[in-house]
Amino acid sequence: MYSVRRFAFLGLILFLITTGTICAEVRETNLWWTPDVVTKGGEKIDFLLHLIFWLTAVVFLVTQGVFIYFLIKYRRRRGVPAYYSHGNNSLEIVWTTIPAVIFIALAVYSNRLWNSELRHPAPEGSIPIDIVAYQYGWHIRNPGRDGKLGDFKPVVSPDNWFGLTDSTPGAQSSEAGKDDYQSENLLTVPVGKPVVIHLRSLDVIHAFYVPEFRMYQDVVPGRQIDWVWFEATKPGNFELACSQLCGSGHYNMKAKIAVVPMEDYQKLVAEKSKAALMELEKKKATSLPPDPTVPTVASSR
Amino acid sequence: MSTMVVPHEVHAGDHAHHQQGIFRTYIWSHDHKMIAKQYLLTALFFLIIGGLLALGVRYKIAFPDTGFPLLKYLLPTTMVSEDGIIQPGMYNMLFTMHATVMVFLVVMPLLIGVFGNYLIPLQIGAPDMAFPFYNALSYWLYAISGMMILYSFFVPGGAAAGGWTSYAPLSTTEAYNGTRMGQSLWGLGIFVNGLSSISGAANYITTVINMRAPGMTMMRLPLTVWSLFITALLLLLAVPVLGAAAALLFMDLNIGTHFFTSSNGGDPLLWQHLFWFFGHPEVYIMILPAMGISSEILPVFSRKPVFGYRAMVFAMAAIGILGFIVWGHHMFVSGMNLTLSATFSISTMVIAVPSAIKTFNWLGTVWRGSIRFTTPMLFALAFISMFVIGGLSGIFMASTPVDLFVHHTYFIVAHIHYVLFAGSILNIFAGVYFWFPKMFGRFMNDFWGKIHFVLTFVFLNLTFFPMHNLGLAGMMRRIADPTQYEHLRNLQPLNIFITLSAFALGLSTIIFFVNFFHSMFHGLKAPANPWQSNTLEWTLPSPVTLHGNFEKTPTVYHGPYEYSVPGMESDFLPQDQPAKPGTRVAAH
Amino acid sequence: MSSAHAAQLQGPGLNPIAPNRIVRFGMFTFLASEVMLFGGLIMAYVVLRVSQGGHYIPEGAPKLPLLQTGIATVVLVSSSFTAHWAEVRVRKGKRASWQLFLTIILGTAFLLNQAYEWNHLYHEHMWFNTFGTYGSTFFVLTGFHGFHVFVGILLLIFSWLLSLAGKFDGSNHNFLECTSLYWHFVDVVWILVFTILYLI
Ligand code: HEA
Ligand code: HEA
Ligand code: CUA
Ligand SMILES: [Cu+2]
Repeated sequence: MYSVRRFAFLGLILFLITTGTICAEVRETNLWWTPDVVTKGGEKIDFLLHLIFWLTAVVFLVTQGVFIYFLIKYRRRRGVPAYYSHGNNSLEIVWTTIPAVIFIALAVYSNRLWNSELRHPAPEGSIPIDIVAYQYGWHIRNPGRDGKLGDFKPVVSPDNWFGLTDSTPGAQSSEAGKDDYQSENLLTVPVGKPVVIHLRSLDVIHAFYVPEFRMYQDVVPGRQIDWVWFEATKPGNFELACSQLCGSGHYNMKAKIAVVPMEDYQKLVAEKSKAALMELEKKKATSLPPDPTVPTVASSR
Repeated sequence: MSTMVVPHEVHAGDHAHHQQGIFRTYIWSHDHKMIAKQYLLTALFFLIIGGLLALGVRYKIAFPDTGFPLLKYLLPTTMVSEDGIIQPGMYNMLFTMHATVMVFLVVMPLLIGVFGNYLIPLQIGAPDMAFPFYNALSYWLYAISGMMILYSFFVPGGAAAGGWTSYAPLSTTEAYNGTRMGQSLWGLGIFVNGLSSISGAANYITTVINMRAPGMTMMRLPLTVWSLFITALLLLLAVPVLGAAAALLFMDLNIGTHFFTSSNGGDPLLWQHLFWFFGHPEVYIMILPAMGISSEILPVFSRKPVFGYRAMVFAMAAIGILGFIVWGHHMFVSGMNLTLSATFSISTMVIAVPSAIKTFNWLGTVWRGSIRFTTPMLFALAFISMFVIGGLSGIFMASTPVDLFVHHTYFIVAHIHYVLFAGSILNIFAGVYFWFPKMFGRFMNDFWGKIHFVLTFVFLNLTFFPMHNLGLAGMMRRIADPTQYEHLRNLQPLNIFITLSAFALGLSTIIFFVNFFHSMFHGLKAPANPWQSNTLEWTLPSPVTLHGNFEKTPTVYHGPYEYSVPGMESDFLPQDQPAKPGTRVAAH
Repeated sequence: MSSAHAAQLQGPGLNPIAPNRIVRFGMFTFLASEVMLFGGLIMAYVVLRVSQGGHYIPEGAPKLPLLQTGIATVVLVSSSFTAHWAEVRVRKGKRASWQLFLTIILGTAFLLNQAYEWNHLYHEHMWFNTFGTYGSTFFVLTGFHGFHVFVGILLLIFSWLLSLAGKFDGSNHNFLECTSLYWHFVDVVWILVFTILYLI
């Protein structure tokens, strides 16, 4: 009844099934591993990921190998009693210190990376972008030709998303803000220039998550998060996914991210900010307050 | 308090409970053995509920827009559309309640309520818990909390849908979640459940410290008792904080206090800190007793003393203590101060060390043993492999930069289920197969037990392993419909595959349920000590019927793991029997 | 040692009535969890208060009746002494009915003052949901504590009745002991709450 051969056999079978099916599954949708990284510094994170992967893989294989070997070798046998032992202190010390050392080293290295990637502020002259998350979408405010955002009050309210000091939409607080333009669920950034994003939320916690950028940051209402920045390395279209449960619409609270070559980006900015300025003039002329829900929007819908 | 206990308990010892009516025997029993059985049946019921909720979750992910029509007759259109498609809001309720049920109504009650109640008094040689009244109370509080949480599906707006972590302000503002009553019931349910845990925990601690049989020193306790004791300490200190948090959440939601609102000075992160201060000890609460169970079963079926008893004890103590200073690893990217994240990542790495120690000691235990592959043993062995997988994925997330990438993806979901399903639940199965004879006087069917094991083992891996890939490929948790995203669309085959495996996993669980209830009445009759085990409960007849457990308090002469002692004819040496003169047994 | 404890539980019919020391131990474990409950609440208060720095108390918020509640605090503390007094007498085998009664009176007085204060603040438009976290934390902390006082008074009344019925004797008075332990605990918590809410 306790035949080990049956057990080992079964064990073999089920491992074949497990790995086999998964591989089959995965090959057909070539998603064995992570999407390629497209930000500067992202490869460092990938390196650490691979490091830990191989470390844990080895640990796993070794422990399991030893384990299975023991199970087969020391299965019950007639006349072979178990060995009476309460343990071995030097062994305990060994297998306490070794993992301890590995873990500490890992922690130290991780934090070095963490500091160098995240804690150090965005480089000078990086493009500021103001992102306000809400149930369920993203208001985005881009700097105009001057590459500066108009200043704003930190408070955000449903009728004045960005907390602009002059709350009639389109109108801009400061000189720098005159040529800013806004976009719904569409984030356009250039290749090869650092971009710093200011994250705020109108209602609940959302999250700024872009797997290809190796970036995740919760967007917490009531506080403004300024430390997130990145530099895209190749053009392409990506998806900005809200990855913090934020209600019934959470499952498709997303935005398009277009990473475009520098010149295209400059062209875009040029016309957008021109449009913004003209809009502003029109407002000045006909001083009736425009419909707040349609600012100068480049919508992706 | 004891004055409340007195009137019921004076005649406890003499077989008075035979005269007691059905009510005192089955419903409001003060006998820890009966209370354990009440817990067992209730929690197994909730396992089915929680499992079915999980299957609902899986179904929606795999087939986001094919509904099954009959649902619409059961549920309002706010939850299920005309053609039976699960609405996104409903999906959020599904996984929220799935996790709540599994954590608070399945795993904790099974590990702590069932095995804690049943084993502690028997294994330390005590007549009962220190406070039988509070023991009974604890069960009923648990049952009530369960009903509250289930009922919340049927209140206007439906059940809580903020995830089992119920992050504020989503959970604390009706305008945002639209499920005020459901969320409030969730809060109340958690609070009542907490009261149950606390009265249980205080009881266990008092019992273990004060009511051990003569000669049962702390260092002679079976590791199950040790693990349950440390777990009880964690419960005692962590659960009240959750209680406080739940109370504040309830008031924010219903009487407009401002603790977690972003306006008026409240702080959404405060909720996360309070929740995770409880939440991380909680996850060790859910694994320590499981570790205790396997530490008990491995020596029995290897016929060999447990390897490094003291190391095991100290490791568990270390886990218990460190468990209180790592909660921030759930909040690395929550907007919390980044320096804090760094420190929490270090403490998290450190807490992995004791788990390592335990793993290696388990390997040491089977080393040079004489291993019998009984059903409980198979589950206990499988637990070790699976726990290593779950633990190792924890290392990825403990490293802050990597967590920056995998946070809130299916990588986390994979981790959760390797430690909780493949960790806790496997050991719960092991424990049930192992102690069933003692509880009900009959064996569970061994053949079907092995079938159940193989199927569970295969399908849990097929279900949960691919989730790692999903996570690395960038699939977020808690999304009702992955096909909304281009970068997830071609993962859909994998999702469907997982869902099918999950259903198979569910079906194989049915085997267990059938086996369980069938064996209860028709299983083979079990002798007093079927596994030739050393601990005190096996010195009693199966099942243990006497209300006071022991005719006369046993005396303990040595540790619980004296197997294959050289120079003895039998290969085991029960704790209440002195070693034959000349044979050398461990001093402690 | 363990054998000693177990010895108390031996004998025919294994009487599982926990002896005094065990009951007291249980009470202590329970109080440990209570400490964590209030610990959580107080930490929440501290976090919120620190994060808002200077302008934690919004302008226009009514002042708390410091003197009056200060007196109430003295009353509560003194009730702790009377409770202890009663316990000592009982341990000596004497009756302590009126000491207990006195304790109940003092406790009730404290509670009445709380009620008055809440009512007063309410009419000053300060309530759970006004003046931001200032109102919320104040009412929640005092509320949680007030509830504990209330429970404590019920326990006191119960043990008072027991002592009137002569149920206590020098060896067996668990209920009284636990009650007074609990009462002292509630007392200490109040001193903390009073300090952070009124003084600092
Ligand atoms: C039983 C439950 C349980 C257990 C035991 C653990 C154990 C661990 N967990 Fe897990 N965890 C959860 C349940 C559990 N977890 C749950 C439910 C969540 C999600 C909550 C939510 O958000 O919903 C979570 C989330 C979670 C996170 C947050 C992830 C995120 O949200 O971004 C992190 C991050 O650090 C983490 C880390 C760890 C670590 C380091 C361990 C360690 O204790 C593991 C230690 C074990 C080993 C390491 C394996 C054995 C050791 C060896 C074989 C030695 C050799 C190894 C090496 C040298 C590498 N867990
Ligand atoms: C102890 C804890 C525990 C257990 C046992 C399980 C068990 C399972 N869990 Fe769960 N899970 C959690 C704890 C647990 N889970 C937690 C904490 C979360 C996080 C929630 C959050 O994000 O807030 C989570 C989230 C979670 C998700 C992610 C949801 C999301 O983020 O969108 C998924 C998705 O696949 C999932 C699936 C499953 C499955 C398939 C099982 C299976 O193992 C279940 C199999 C068992 C059964 C099915 C029971 C037997 C049933 C019967 C006998 C009835 C008859 C059966 C049939 C008719 C088939 N779980
Ligand atoms: Cu916004 Cu999820
Ligand atoms: Cu954790």
